[in-house]
Amino acid sequence: MNTNTKKLQGFLSQNVIYIVLALLIIAITIYDPSFLAINTLRDILNQSSTRVIIALGTAFVLITGGTDLSAGRVVGLAAVVSASMLQVQDYGRRFFPNLPDLPIIVPVLLSIAAGLVFGLINGLIVAKFKVPPFIATLGTMVAVYGVNSLYFDTEPNQSQPIGGLRPDFTNIGSGSIGSGSFSIPYIVIIALVVAFIVWVVFNKTKLGKNMYAIGGNEQAAKVSGINVAKNLIWIYAIAGALYGLAGVLEAARTGGATNNYGNMYELDAIAACVVGGVSTTGGIGRVQGVVAGVLIFTVINYGLTFIGVSPYWQLIIKGLIIVAAVAFDMRKYATRK
Amino acid sequence: MKKLAPVLLAGCMLGGLLAGCSSSSDSKLPKVGVAIYKFDDTFMTGVRNSIAENGKDIATVDIVDSQNSQPTQNDKVDLFITKNTKALIINPVDRTAAGVIIDKAKPKNIPVVFLNREPLPEDMKKWDKVYYVGAKAEESGTLEGQLIADYWKAHPEADKNKDGVLQYVMLKGEPGHQDAELRTKYSIQAIEDAGIKVEKLAEDTAMWDRVKGQEKMAAFLASHGDKIEAVLANNDDMALGAIEALKAAGYFKGDKYMPVVGVDATAPAIQALQEGTLLGTVLNDAKNQGKASVKLATVLAKGETPTKDNVGYDISDNQYIWIAYKKITKDNIADAQ
Repeated sequence: MNTNTKKLQGFLSQNVIYIVLALLIIAITIYDPSFLAINTLRDILNQSSTRVIIALGTAFVLITGGTDLSAGRVVGLAAVVSASMLQVQDYGRRFFPNLPDLPIIVPVLLSIAAGLVFGLINGLIVAKFKVPPFIATLGTMVAVYGVNSLYFDTEPNQSQPIGGLRPDFTNIGSGSIGSGSFSIPYIVIIALVVAFIVWVVFNKTKLGKNMYAIGGNEQAAKVSGINVAKNLIWIYAIAGALYGLAGVLEAARTGGATNNYGNMYELDAIAACVVGGVSTTGGIGRVQGVVAGVLIFTVINYGLTFIGVSPYWQLIIKGLIIVAAVAFDMRKYATRK
Repeated sequence: MKKLAPVLLAGCMLGGLLAGCSSSSDSKLPKVGVAIYKFDDTFMTGVRNSIAENGKDIATVDIVDSQNSQPTQNDKVDLFITKNTKALIINPVDRTAAGVIIDKAKPKNIPVVFLNREPLPEDMKKWDKVYYVGAKAEESGTLEGQLIADYWKAHPEADKNKDGVLQYVMLKGEPGHQDAELRTKYSIQAIEDAGIKVEKLAEDTAMWDRVKGQEKMAAFLASHGDKIEAVLANNDDMALGAIEALKAAGYFKGDKYMPVVGVDATAPAIQALQEGTLLGTVLNDAKNQGKASVKLATVLAKGETPTKDNVGYDISDNQYIWIAYKKITKDNIADAQ
C-alpha cells in the first residue's frame, strides 16, 4: 500500500462522521432538492440545540468511562420547575397562584441548580460509594422522575400539564435574532455558546485534562496524583447542570411542561455521543464529534420526515447507524492494540 | 480498504431507504400536515387510518408521529411550516401546548385543526382559523356508567354481598389527562343518577395501558377479592388488561362473572364483547373523527370558509365539531365494525 492510500484511510477514519453527515444531506437533497434551503437548515439547527446541550453533558461522563441514564429525567424536572414559576398572571390554573412575576433568571437558575444537585448526587454515589455509574444513574433516573411527579402533583396543579408560560420566556425558545431568512434562533446561539465553553473545558482546563486521564486509565490517573473522586463529582454535577439548562429550553420552546418531558433523552444523547466518536470505554471524545453526532440524528429525524419516510424505517436506520458507529469505534481499538 | 466499510454501509442504507420511499405526491391537491401524538396508540391509529382513507382523494396528506413528546411535535410543526403545508391537523401530546402551535401557524396563515385533545378555551380564542374536532369526554363517561347501571338493574345477582350498594374498582388513564378525569367522574355520576348507591373499593392509574391494567387489577383482586362487583376502566386497553387478570383469578368460567366496561370500542374489545368477557364499551368514533378532521382541514387549506355543507358535520360556536359517542354491547356490535 502506498502512502497516499494510507493518508486517505487516515483521513476517512478520522472524519467518517462528517462524511456520513454530508452523504445523508446529499442523498436527501437528491431525493427532494427543496431540502437544501435556509429554512430547513435553521429548523435542523434549532431542533439540535437542546440535544447538543444534553449530549455534551453526557459526553463529560462518558469520557470519564462512566455513563449517565438520568439525563432525560433531569431535563424533565428542570422543565417542570422552570415552567411552574414562569406562568402569566391571568392564567386559569397557575402552579403557584400567588407568585409574582420573577425575573426570568431566577427560575432558570433554580432549575439549573436542581439539575446540578442531582448531578452531584450521581457523582457522590459513583465516586464515594463506588457504585457502577450505570446503576447509580439508573437509580437517580427513577428517583428524579418520582421527585418530579410529586412536585407536578402538588395542589393546586395536581398533575395538570403546565401551560400559559410568559411570552418573554417562550420567546427565548422560539424567538430569533434578525428577521426573515437571515435569522438565528436564540436557542441555537445558546447551544453554540455552551458548545464553545465545553470545548474550552475539555481542551484548556485542568478538569478537562483530568477527565481524559481518568477515562483513559483511572489507576494511572490516581497514581499521578489526580483527585479522582473530586473530579468525578464535579463532572457529574456539570453534566446535571447542562441537563437542567436543556430542560429550561425545552419548556421555553414548547410553551409548557409535563413530568413526562425528557423521557428517554438519555439514550438519544448516548447514541449521539457514540456516533460522534466518544469512546464507550472512556478517554476519547471531542466536542465537534458530539455536535456532528447530534446533527446526524436530527438530519435523520427531520430529513427523513421531510421526504416522507415511514417513522418505523427511521428507527431502523437510527439503530443501524448506532451499531455501525460502535463497531467502527471498537475496530479502531483492535487495530491499535 | 476496510476503513471505507462504514461509509459504504451508510451509503447503501440510504440507497435502500430512498428506494423504499412512498411515491411523490400529486401537487394539485392541497397539502395537509397531520401530527399524531403517537403512532402506537390503538385508538389514534384508527383515527389516523380514517384520515388517510378519507383524505387520499381530496388532499395530499402527510402524517407524522410525535412519539408522545411535545418537543418532537413542535419540531414536526416547524417542518410542516417550512414545507409550505396549507393546513395542519394536530393531535396534541399536551393540550396546553396548543397556544405555542397556534403562535407558529398564525403568522404564516396556516389554519390548525386540533384533534381529540381539546385545547384550552383561551387558546382557541387566539385565532378564528383554529378548530377542534373531538368528542365530549364527559359523554363517554356517562354512557359507560349507564352500561353498568343497566346491567345492575337487570341482574339482581350482580349485588354479590346483597347490601344494595355497588362496590366497584376504577382503572384510570394518565393522571391529569382530561378524558381520564372526566370519564372517572361522569361514569360514577351516571350510576348514581340511575338511583344506585356506589362504593369505591379502589382506584388507580394504569396509564391507558393493557399491561398496567392487568397488573393493577391483579393487585385489586389480591386486596379486595370477591368484594368487587364491577370494573370500570377509562379505556378498552385497560379493561382488557383487567379481564386477563380476572381470567387468571377464575372469572368468566362457569357462573363466575364480573361486569367490565371500557371506552373506545377497539377491535380487541369487540372480540372480547363477542366472547362475553367485556360487558360493554363506548365507541369513540375514530372513523368520523378522522373523516371530519381531514375534510375540515382540506376546506381550510383551500382558503374556503367551512360550513356544514362543505364539511358534512355541524360546526358549533364556529370552531368545534363534536363527534358523538355510542354505547356498544354484544347486541349492536355491527355498529362498531
